[in-house]
Amino acid sequence: MSEICDDIELRAREELFINIHPIQAAGRLTAEAMKAMIAYGDGYSTCDWCLAPFRLDKIKRPPIEEFHVELANFLGMDAVRVVPGARRGFQTVVNSLVEKGDVVIVSSLAHYTEFLAVEVAGGVVREVPLNEGNVVTAEKTASKIEEAKRETGRLPKLIMIDHFDYQFGNEHDVRGIAKVAKEYGIPFLLNGAYSVGVMPVNGKEIGADFVVGSGHKSFASPAPSGILATTEEWADRVFRTTEMVGDVTGRRFGVKEVEMLGCTLMGANIVAMMASFPTIRERVKHWDEEIEKVNYFVREFLRIEGNQVDSETPRRHTLTKVDTTGSFDRVARTHKRRGYFFSDELKARKIVGEFAGSTRSWKLNTYGLTWEQIKYLGEAFQEIARKYGIPVA
Amino acid sequence: MNERAVYETFEALFALTDLRQLFRETKPLFNFSEKQREEVRRVLERVRRSLETIEKETLK
Repeated sequence: MSEICDDIELRAREELFINIHPIQAAGRLTAEAMKAMIAYGDGYSTCDWCLAPFRLDKIKRPPIEEFHVELANFLGMDAVRVVPGARRGFQTVVNSLVEKGDVVIVSSLAHYTEFLAVEVAGGVVREVPLNEGNVVTAEKTASKIEEAKRETGRLPKLIMIDHFDYQFGNEHDVRGIAKVAKEYGIPFLLNGAYSVGVMPVNGKEIGADFVVGSGHKSFASPAPSGILATTEEWADRVFRTTEMVGDVTGRRFGVKEVEMLGCTLMGANIVAMMASFPTIRERVKHWDEEIEKVNYFVREFLRIEGNQVDSETPRRHTLTKVDTTGSFDRVARTHKRRGYFFSDELKARKIVGEFAGSTRSWKLNTYGLTWEQIKYLGEAFQEIARKYGIPVA
Repeated sequence: MNERAVYETFEALFALTDLRQLFRETKPLFNFSEKQREEVRRVLERVRRSLETIEKETLK
């Protein structure tokens, strides 16, 4: 097998296999992004034409400044910065708004980095419980705000809720929650790690004060990359510039933004995001077809006796939690390879990305697969089921 | 050597990247449609042209 150099093997799984890994699907690069990686891979490659005021988002060649403006428009927000992953977007907002002991409302399905962002700032999280369908509602968010108010004597400083969560890929009532946030006067951060870049997202229409996206999860970009967008009202606060002065040298770095630690995505990462952007703008218009495809797959998947889907159905996202305890796990219990038999069978059919060895509860993502690949996937699961005597309706 | 050899190196890499994308779209069976076959031909032709220039510029 080819190697990049000693001990670093070539990665060709996206070219050779159908990859259903739950978090890798929408971060796969476009051809244009791959070309950007080839040409702009050198460390400070975007700094060739960095002129005054010497800040990444002001660079005109390549058109990084223009990209920032267009990206803000695309998200229906006023200002945007690229950041090293969604987590740095959470951190920027939390650091700007939260002080020691302040409460931040998050979902019971919040990503761990939301917890960490709050912890770094000295705040505490309070989780909104899920309803019976594993969805965060406006009503339950309001109850949690009241509970936090009773507990601390003051309102939470921030509400941070996922548009679609990472566990079920369920859609949460972000519009209703934004309304509740407005009523209480609490800023609302929409975590769009699983929506920005795959489906249309308009922050202001939703009622968000902040929109965070993930480049490597949903924007066909290399890791780490992410997006933080906000409104005019909050931009000066979260993108505030340094006022520090060196006591010996008297040096100031006035234009540099404190929370960004100066420039963020230098080099190939930002250029790859920019290179994918035209495709992103087009592909969000076809989200309905992605939903059609995942629902087709789910129907085929459920024809296998014992299979279940734990996520809400019909699916509104391509990330889906499934349960095969009643089907493939029954085989695994007596198979010499245990749960790995299932991975072996999938791999033999050129399918990867399942949680290796897991035959009970696991997740998959069908985003970006062609109809031909979707049909192949459904047939492959059924073929494995039949091979082991599991009835297929 | 003329700098064209450098640009043609990138052109060849970009054309091969288009081929890589085609592999991604047709995996795992690689059943190319006529349109996709046409794209493969275009890529190969582009790469051959680049290689000819590179060869001429570097080994002449």
